[in-house]
Amino acid sequence: MLKVENLTKQFKSGDYTVDAVDKISFYLPTGVFAAILGKSGSGKSTLLSLLGALDKPTEGNIQVNLQEISKMKDSQLIKYRRDKIGFIFQSYNLIPNLTALENVCLPMEFAGVKKIARMKRAVELLDQVGITLDKQDRIPSRLSGGEQQRVAIARALANKPALILADEPTGNLDSKTAKIIIDLLKNLAKSKKTTIIAVTHDKEVAKQAKIVLELKDGKLVK
Amino acid sequence: MGIIYRGFKNAFRNSIRTVSITFILALSIAMALIMFLSLKTVQSKIDEVKSSVGNTITVSPAGIRGFEGGGELLTNTTATTISKIENVSGITKTISARLSADTDTNLESSVEAGSFGRRQMESENQNNSQMNENMPENFSMPINATGTSNLDSTTSLNISELNIISGTKFDESSSKYVALIGKNLAEKNDLAVSSTFTAWDKSIKVVGIFDSGNNFSNAGILMPIKTVQVLSDQENEINSIIVEVSSIDNISNVETAIKEKLGDDVDTVSSQDATEQTTSSLENIKTISLYSLIGAVIAGSVIILLTMIMIVRERRREIGVLKAIGASNLKIVSQFISESTLLTLMGSVLGIILGFAFSNPILKVLINNSTSSTTSGAGQAGGPGGLGGEGGRQMMRMAGEFLGRAGDSLQNLQAVVDYKIILYGLGAAIIIAIIGSIIPSFIISKIRPAEIMRTE
Repeated sequence: MLKVENLTKQFKSGDYTVDAVDKISFYLPTGVFAAILGKSGSGKSTLLSLLGALDKPTEGNIQVNLQEISKMKDSQLIKYRRDKIGFIFQSYNLIPNLTALENVCLPMEFAGVKKIARMKRAVELLDQVGITLDKQDRIPSRLSGGEQQRVAIARALANKPALILADEPTGNLDSKTAKIIIDLLKNLAKSKKTTIIAVTHDKEVAKQAKIVLELKDGKLVK
Repeated sequence: MGIIYRGFKNAFRNSIRTVSITFILALSIAMALIMFLSLKTVQSKIDEVKSSVGNTITVSPAGIRGFEGGGELLTNTTATTISKIENVSGITKTISARLSADTDTNLESSVEAGSFGRRQMESENQNNSQMNENMPENFSMPINATGTSNLDSTTSLNISELNIISGTKFDESSSKYVALIGKNLAEKNDLAVSSTFTAWDKSIKVVGIFDSGNNFSNAGILMPIKTVQVLSDQENEINSIIVEVSSIDNISNVETAIKEKLGDDVDTVSSQDATEQTTSSLENIKTISLYSLIGAVIAGSVIILLTMIMIVRERRREIGVLKAIGASNLKIVSQFISESTLLTLMGSVLGIILGFAFSNPILKVLINNSTSSTTSGAGQAGGPGGLGGEGGRQMMRMAGEFLGRAGDSLQNLQAVVDYKIILYGLGAAIIIAIIGSIIPSFIISKIRPAEIMRTE
């Protein structure tokens, strides 16, 4: 479960202080697929990086499975990101000179999983997201966009995270592939009991979500 | 292991860049290696020259050089005073005397007077009208008799070696009428071991015949110092004292002490003075090598530093992703260090090969450029012999000899290539890699993972 209270993030630009995220509070139970909707500049990406501990909030609390992350030290935040969070990006952000399999192994290596164990799990995960064995040894540039995003999803799942944060996961995909990816995320939320939050401006994606949060000027409007 | 694997894999991500970086780095490492080799080689040469010159100081009477000048000769008391100075490990006393072929001895000189000898004799005897009348037809050169307290001190005898070709050495402390005869003089006068000749109206026995390798000394006689002092009526007098110092580092101290004790009565020339002239050009090469070595290592570090900064900036986003998925700064920095280490290692392997191939040619160029002055100086100093047993000139000649020797040995200087050099090369590579990684590592630690969330 995810509990957000009074979350605020301010940026200074010159003499002005911009509230990119302004006193947001919400609650998500475990295993739901949620969407954050909003126009560009509405603060969705900032909210996502706060949830993923990529950035520190100016004020407010974030609780993931009763763990308070806004008070963590830097070294704890690295562990939190590694063990509790999975990231999926619009442009996939796979390491270009590593194979699909090696990319999925990466978070497990950082977590100290033994080589044989992480290889085994990576093969399983790639299989689950539909990357067949013959494609697992390819580097990202030899995979299609949809396939790359599947690899990214497998990588996000590697350390069994409590929360998967997806930033415009279908933004670079055609509508047919986008639907497949969204279905995949929806099913994973259910089967892996993982909370998935997808930032999007695609109404079709939002329709699939169980909970939709809409942001406007850093404030939650729905 | 994953970190090193990725670091190595990343090193080959851009093959054109990898090849060019490796090559430029190899040049700077080769340069560093060559300079290191030349530094070592030159240093060992300097040590060799210093030890071959020896730890000696020549003390001569002030104002007197051989048979020229004026003043008082040294005495046995002077010798005793010097031998008591700290760090003096031994002294060799010599006295020279000239045997006139007409009056003092029955021997005939093996040296032809020539125009130089004649001119010398004329100027010496210009007040002696009788002698002048006899010249030049009936004139023969005087013979030099040297009395020494130590036959092993070749420096004191102004020769580089003393080969006894027949017979034996004499006891230097005796006052017997015995002598070693130079090879040329023996041939000229048909002398062999056990023959006798006359000097100062005494019969002197030949105990041995020597070859010193130079015509001037081979025309002379060596005798125990006391014998010469007594026979030539120079009792208690000494022409020069060779002081042996315990180590080369104490030479200047001992020289100062001698000056303090004996003041203006003596002139001193130390082997250090001669060495300094010889080694000054070597010292120059050493300095050039040292600066080039430092320069090459700095250049290598700067190359790898700029490369790594470029690479880190290029992969800024990737570093952000690694941080987002849970990599610590340390892990990312290690990955980049392993990448830069591999680049430097490849550069150093190539650099070591280049270094081995070019060390000798480059050393030659360095030496040819900076020793031309030394060798020409050696020619001048080592050339003319001079008339008379001139103890004072011997330092001049000695210096010349060493300069000449050093000049020769410099031409034959070979880089001391041993396989420890590979270790030094690799050591330099690792230092370069680490220096080159410090700033990039700092950049890495400052990259905020949130940057990747920005719209692509």
